[in-house]
This record gives sequence, structure tokens and C-alpha cells, in this order.
Amino acid sequence: MIDVRFEDVSKRYRLRDGRSRRDFWAVREVSFDVGRGETLGVIGHNGAGKSTLLKLLSRITAPTAGTITLRGRLAALIEVGSGFHPELTGRENIFLSGSILGMRRREIVEKLDRIVEFSGVAPFIDVPVKWYSSGMYVRLGFAIAAHLEADILLVDEVLAVGDAAFQIRCIERIAELRRAGTTMLFISHDLTSVARLCDRVALMDHGRLIASGAPRDVIREYEHQVAASAARAVADATDIAAAPQARVRDVRFLDADGHELAGASTGEPVRAIVECDVTSELPDAVVEVFYYSRDGRTLHCQHSTAVSGPRLTLEPGRRRLEFFCSELGLQPGLYAIGASIRERRAAGAIDWWYGVKTLQVNPGKSVRGYFYAPHEWRWADAGSAAQHHPADV
Amino acid sequence: MRVPDGRTIVIRPVSGAWLRLDQHLAALGEYTDLLRTLSRHRLRVRYKQTALGFAWAVLQPLLMMVIFTAVFSVLARMPSDGHPYALFAYAALLPWTFFSTAVSNATGSLVTHTQLVTKVYFPREILPLTYVLAGLFDFAIGFVVLLGLMAWFDVPLTVHALNLIPIVFLLAAWILAVALVLSALQVRFRDVGVALPVLLQVWMFASPVIYPLSVVPQAWRGWYLLNPMAGIVASCRDVLLEGTPPAPVPLAMALIVTAAVLPAAYFFFKHAEATMADVI
Repeated sequence: MIDVRFEDVSKRYRLRDGRSRRDFWAVREVSFDVGRGETLGVIGHNGAGKSTLLKLLSRITAPTAGTITLRGRLAALIEVGSGFHPELTGRENIFLSGSILGMRRREIVEKLDRIVEFSGVAPFIDVPVKWYSSGMYVRLGFAIAAHLEADILLVDEVLAVGDAAFQIRCIERIAELRRAGTTMLFISHDLTSVARLCDRVALMDHGRLIASGAPRDVIREYEHQVAASAARAVADATDIAAAPQARVRDVRFLDADGHELAGASTGEPVRAIVECDVTSELPDAVVEVFYYSRDGRTLHCQHSTAVSGPRLTLEPGRRRLEFFCSELGLQPGLYAIGASIRERRAAGAIDWWYGVKTLQVNPGKSVRGYFYAPHEWRWADAGSAAQHHPADV
Repeated sequence: MRVPDGRTIVIRPVSGAWLRLDQHLAALGEYTDLLRTLSRHRLRVRYKQTALGFAWAVLQPLLMMVIFTAVFSVLARMPSDGHPYALFAYAALLPWTFFSTAVSNATGSLVTHTQLVTKVYFPREILPLTYVLAGLFDFAIGFVVLLGLMAWFDVPLTVHALNLIPIVFLLAAWILAVALVLSALQVRFRDVGVALPVLLQVWMFASPVIYPLSVVPQAWRGWYLLNPMAGIVASCRDVLLEGTPPAPVPLAMALIVTAAVLPAAYFFFKHAEATMADVI
């Protein structure tokens, strides 16, 4: 039995730029089915059309062409703290937000206790939400959404909210709904969760559905794509010696115990191991690790001594360098990896390795803005002896 | 979004779908709980963190009455069909305040709830509608004040005052029609919100609020009464102050215009709704 069917669905936006108009196809001729009780993951880069897909499905906006058929009650598991009224108490907002999401009053009364408990803001439930911290706000909003009763559930990037414990509770709740036979569409940058929770994965690229199938295969396809597309852009910018004295063989990522990482997490430690084969000695070398976006921009670069400090001499043979980062700054997503070897005083690289590997970054510490940077806080007036506190989440 | 169990929903491009009145009303029926909760919410938050709270619902029309009486009766000597001007003005301010407050709140309702409109589905007409329903509540409070004023001025309430019930229904329907059109337009053209205060000002002078309908020349009456607020305001005065049934022609005109405009306004709104989230 098919619960969700997309048939040749397209969505065009008219972008107005001053006087000129431009058409932008956010979703183009997309067709797929989701069977009852099935969980379909949708992945792709930012702007690939994933969120538009959900907007069409939840009737927030109408398609430009094509037909979508839904069977059963549909609910969207999205962060709706924005539906809160700051002057109302948490309890009052549960009723408000719940009914906005399509719950009946009776249903909310029944679930009130469970929602409050899930959110973890029970002591403050009768306080106006304007006094809530942003974390409490988000948790309460999510707790309401997580208790919707639906045959079809849309989950859009909600797992990046709250602290680690709350994220685990969210994943558990989604797994629970899935066991109960809810049909799900799951949109996330968290490829590890996608692989774990989904029966099937669809890959979107520039509004089109370009691959669909077993999670492992589609995720691998996505990784190849990101690596290849970054490589095309990087290739134009590099110039490598014909017969290099050294070659990068591989870059591997390890966790704290030295095991190869399936995915790193924002704000968590990560170790990158660069393996290279050196044929003749390089007395003063620089080794670099690049983190590229899919369009080949360098988002981050780690390097050995480049200006002053201990000189790096690469002697012939297989050499391995470790780059340690105590708190990874990259946002959740998929990044293409590159590495290069060059001589400190020379222009141009001896070897530049790219287009092979990607690093998957999963939601860890929650980030607002473009990247995570470690920071802490203390009372500014208390003098230098005051204790520093890590900023949570 | 809510779909009754076992029902199939088909989502298609805009063309034609907005004409399905049966589907619109069925969807609205599914969301009556939201309509009720949101309307109650409007009342609850309106006077939050105000020192006088709900007293404002009484004070607002009373203050307007005092000002109008001072300006138009004491200074300008406006005719009032033989009634005390304060009472004469208040009987018109009651429906007029309902109209102007509900229309100006409802016009911005979609834009002020951008976060909801772009994130959650529900029939969008609920947003302007809640302001109309909240306005009804203020109307009821204002009506109690009117009863007090009538007792004070020794004007008896007759059985014809019962006509007020259908008149208020008509008024609410007309307000909804205006609110649906203006709120949908406001999504695309913020000009509407900017022009609205002036529009309401002109509209008030084009309705018999500060003057009686009797001073409008007969030659203009036909055009004048195309504005349903004219018939509605005049009818309110008839049934409350005169103690007579409402004059048939003005009320009939208001009814006909509203009956024609409300369905058109609703279709217009539903047509705009389909792509509202894209342009808001």
C-alpha cells in the first residue's frame, strides 16, 4: 500500500531581482512512492530541493506541476517554537502550538503530562515562555510536535536541536514511531542517522531526484558526487609537479580510540592521519589537510609548520602525520577532503591529493551561524580568578 | 495538517483547486479547535502586561464617545436625530469600532504570522477569522456599556432590539469579507497596511457614524448605501435608539452587497493562499 506518491512534481519560484525576473526550479519532475510503514530518507546539499519537497507535501505551498497523493493523516515534526506566544505560559503554549500543528484539544489534554515530561521543562511549565532559555523553548516546541498522532510523519532537520541527551530522546522517539508503523519522510544532514533509521534513501541534486535505493548505496553515491564535484573545482586551481618527490596516499579520520571514524561530529575531537610516500628527502616540507565544500571552496585547512616553529623534514619511505583538532568547527554536512605536500619556500605543490574522500560531519554541539568555535564564559566583574564555564550545547 | 483517517488527499497545482468550496469548508471544519484556541488566545494576550487589563474593552469606546461628543456636538453642533449626542455617537461607534479594529488587526494577520504560514499548514483564513471572532467579544462588552448608557439617558430598550442579533451577524460577515481581501493583498503588497489607517478614516466619514443617515441627500442615497457599513450602522441606531424595526432599504442593500462580496472574497483568498508561503 502506497501512502505517499509523487508524480512528476515540479515547483517553480519566480525570483525578482529589481526589474528582472528569473525562474528557479526548486523541484523538477520528481516522482517516488513511499509505502505504508516505510521510512524514506531524503539527502542532498543545501538548496537541492529537500525542504521544498516537504513544503509541497505538507501543503504549505502548491506545486507548479504534477500530482501528490497522500493517504492518511499527515503531521510535520518541525521545530515550531516560533508558534509560541511569549506572554503565555508553557502550558498555554502547548495548547496553542498543539492546535496549530493540528491536534484536537481533547488529544492535547490526554497527552499534556507526557509532553511536559518529554520536554524536561516541568518546573517552569506555568511560567511565561518569554523567561525560557532558547534551549527550553526549542525542547518544548519539539516535545509537542513529537506527540502528534499521524499516519505519515515528516521529519525535517530537527535533530540538530537541544543537547546530546535531548537529541538521543528525539532519535528514540522517531524509532518508536517507526516501530509503531508510521510512514516517514526523514530529511537530514545527519547521514549516520539516515543510514540507521531509513529503509530507503533518495538523493536530490539541483531539484531533481538523481538516485534512490538502499541507504548505504545512495549515501556512497552522494559521497562520490561531493568528492567529484569538489575535485573538478579544485583541479582548476592546482598545479602539480610531473615527477613528485612525495605523494599523498590517503587521509583517514580516527576517533579517540584510534578506530576509523564513520562520521565526525560538530564540536567533538577528530584526528586526521595523512599518509604519504616520500621518494627523496624534503628538508623543509609543509603538509596540509583541506576541507572543501562541494563546490570546491576551502572551508578549513590544517597544516604543519608553515611560518615558524619546528621544521618538518620528510625522509624517504611511508610517513604518517597526525593532525589533531580538539573541537571540530564544521557544521553538519558532507565535506570533500584534500591533502597537499609542498616545500615551505616554493610556490606550487609537490603533490595535491583530492577527489577521493569525504568526511561526514554529524550534528554534535548545536551551532547557530556558519561554524562552531569553542568558547566559555565567566563573570566579567569578578576579577581574573573567576572560574570559566564551558558554554553548553 | 490533518486528514481524517483513511481519507486520501490529492495535491495539485493551483489552477481550479481554489474553486472547490466544499473542500475549503471541510478543511475549515477539521480545524475548528484551532479556530477556537486561537480566538481565545487573541483575547488573552491583548491586554497582557497592561495595568487596566480588560477595562480597556470598556474604556476604548467610552473615550471615543467622549471625544466625539466634545468635538461634534459641543463644538460643531452636529444633528443627532433628537437623541443625546453621546448616546447617538456610541450606538454607531459600537459597530464601527468592531469593524475598524477587526479589519486593521486581520489585515496584518498573515504577515505577523509569517513563521507559521511558512512552516505549518492550516486553512489560512483562520488567522483573519480569529480577529473577527475576538472583535465579537469586545462588541458584547461594549453592548453592556451601551445598556448602561441607555439607562442613564432614560432611553427604553424595546423588543426590536432583538434585531441586533442578525445585524451583528451581517456585520461580522462583512468584516470577514473585507478582512479576507485585505489580508491576502497585504501578503503581496505591504502598501495595504500603510494605506489602511487613511482608508478607515475615509470609510468612517462615508458611513453615518458622526452624523445621522437622514442628512445624506436623497439623490446620493443609492450610491451611499452601496457601503454596507452605512446600512448596518443606521440599522443599529434604528433598533437601539429609535426602538423601531430597521429601515428596510439600507439593511437590504447591506445584505445584498455582503452576500455578493463575501463568496468572491473567499475565493480570492483561497486562490492567493496556494502560493502565499512563497511570497510572504
